[in-house]
Amino acid sequence: MSITEAEAAQLAFERPSGLWRDAFERFVRNPAALVGVVLVLVFVLAAIFAPAVAPYEPREQVGVLARNPAGPGDGHIMGLDEQGRDQFSRIVFGLRLSLLVGVVSVLVGLSFGLVFGALAGYLGGRIDFALMRLMDLMLSIPGFLLAIGIVTLLGPGLFQIMFAVGLVQVPTFARLLRGSILGQKEGDYVLAARSVGVPGRRLLLVHILPNSIAPVIVQATLAMATAIIEVAALSFVGLGPQDPGLPELGKMLADNANRLQQSAHLVFFPGLAIVISTLGINLIGDGLREAIDPKLRT
Amino acid sequence: MLGYVLRRLLLLIPILFGLSLIVFLFVRALPGGPGIALLGERATAQDLQEIEENLGLDEPLPVQYGRYLKNLATGDLGTSVSTRRPVSEELSRRFPATFELAIAAMIFAIGLGIPLGYIAAKRYQGVLDNASLVMSLIGVSIPVFFLALLLKYVFAVKLGWLPSIGRINILIDLDHPTNFYVLDSILTANWEGLTDSLKHLILPAIALGTIPLAIIARITRAATLDVLSEDYVRTARAKGLDPSIIGRRHVLKNAMLPVVTVIGLQTGLLLTGAILTETVFAWPGLGTLILNAIRFRDYAVLQGGILFFAVLFVLMNLLVDISYAFLNPRIRYR
Repeated sequence: MSITEAEAAQLAFERPSGLWRDAFERFVRNPAALVGVVLVLVFVLAAIFAPAVAPYEPREQVGVLARNPAGPGDGHIMGLDEQGRDQFSRIVFGLRLSLLVGVVSVLVGLSFGLVFGALAGYLGGRIDFALMRLMDLMLSIPGFLLAIGIVTLLGPGLFQIMFAVGLVQVPTFARLLRGSILGQKEGDYVLAARSVGVPGRRLLLVHILPNSIAPVIVQATLAMATAIIEVAALSFVGLGPQDPGLPELGKMLADNANRLQQSAHLVFFPGLAIVISTLGINLIGDGLREAIDPKLRT
Repeated sequence: MLGYVLRRLLLLIPILFGLSLIVFLFVRALPGGPGIALLGERATAQDLQEIEENLGLDEPLPVQYGRYLKNLATGDLGTSVSTRRPVSEELSRRFPATFELAIAAMIFAIGLGIPLGYIAAKRYQGVLDNASLVMSLIGVSIPVFFLALLLKYVFAVKLGWLPSIGRINILIDLDHPTNFYVLDSILTANWEGLTDSLKHLILPAIALGTIPLAIIARITRAATLDVLSEDYVRTARAKGLDPSIIGRRHVLKNAMLPVVTVIGLQTGLLLTGAILTETVFAWPGLGTLILNAIRFRDYAVLQGGILFFAVLFVLMNLLVDISYAFLNPRIRYR
């Protein structure tokens, strides 16, 4: 075997290391991100297998009615609520709702945001201008207030608040993707693709988008945590689901805020559930950001 | 620089028009139509007719919008259904409460966040650094209303150190020339009022200030780390300059730029956080005003409140951008 041949053989063994592979390796070496993965795994598994994890039905009365129910004990690790329902079961089902809420809101925000951002960034000109001024206008109203306004129009309810929270995130995604596309559009590979006659739509979908999407993924992760908190907050101020039995975490907090003195466990555990789920998501989001763009490492 | 400020002020005009248009359309899209929405469900036929004439609901939308703008220009935001007072009066009466709370929260966040971030950066990867990172992560993951409830539980319910609701003990007689209670107490030399209103301010301010605190600490840490690795810091060290002078003059001063931006942005966001904090502590500010407006379907107050908040938010962001331009002459503005 000649030296060239040996080198060639060695080269063949070296795996090509692309952006995603590097990013993955940086991600798994980040302890904070791994803690996030564990937290989110617990959260997601509990949410998906809620009926198996929860010892009781969330609406089932298993204990006595009490104005100020006693705390954990007697087989109920998080105590009972005022309706005599097992709080642990309600929280597990509440996490299920939170997961749904986070995913749906972000999907709403992403789908509108991606379409707007891609159109604005790729087409440019008047469409870009009009879309971006609309986004500026939306950003000029504080997000939570905009969500309150939208829910007032749609009426209170779980789906309404998910939609509202998602809509509020549209400008962030649109601007992010637009900026990212604008950066990619000037790339040599786009020029190359265009010069061999790749049609416009294919150019955008196959060449530009996959290269512009990384910051959007990071943002989407972080937005999920925000969405969970915002939905809980809207629910906390009374705009959430009107069904009194629905185990929504923000609503549970609101319903029991005045029982702080005697039954603090009814406030403590639902709040803790929100914190743990959003903390996990935030840790993953930060980890992803560092992994995809190590320059941003702080 | 002046050109930049002028250009930004000009850009404000379309945004303000857009905002007014959104709020205008918002009221017209409300369930039951604007007449019912603004007057409440128990409005008499005569009241309804009156407001419909007043708003010109039978006229085309552009004409209605023109009239709406004219009313806005004279400060007429309509009348509250529940209190029968002009909305503008309600807003100006409640605004000092929210503003006072926001300032206190910012003092807490900045006063603690900058030193914390700075020390964390100086002891990079030390125990304190990691602790502050964990704290700031929890800080951004905790919903403000939950934190508010926790603080209330520990310091008001369990320990009984601080009051849990309101701005001042109702038994204290305090004149209100400005409606900023802390300022009022100082102006009228009412020291009992001063200590009591300060005590009432502590818990809500901490609750509201914790998220900005976490973010400010993180940014300060990152910015300080950046500056610490700059050549001019090494040079300053090499020539034997007193480390405390290096810290103040070379590091902190240059690290402040991104921090100032974040502080400004957070100040705007504080306004929304205030809605939730005020609910928990029964703080009679703009946030509780807006929430009550939703609860009692007082849409005149709601639309006025949203517009007021949004304008405040826009102005705050403008102020941030302009101060940033002043602070950072290295950036050239087109």
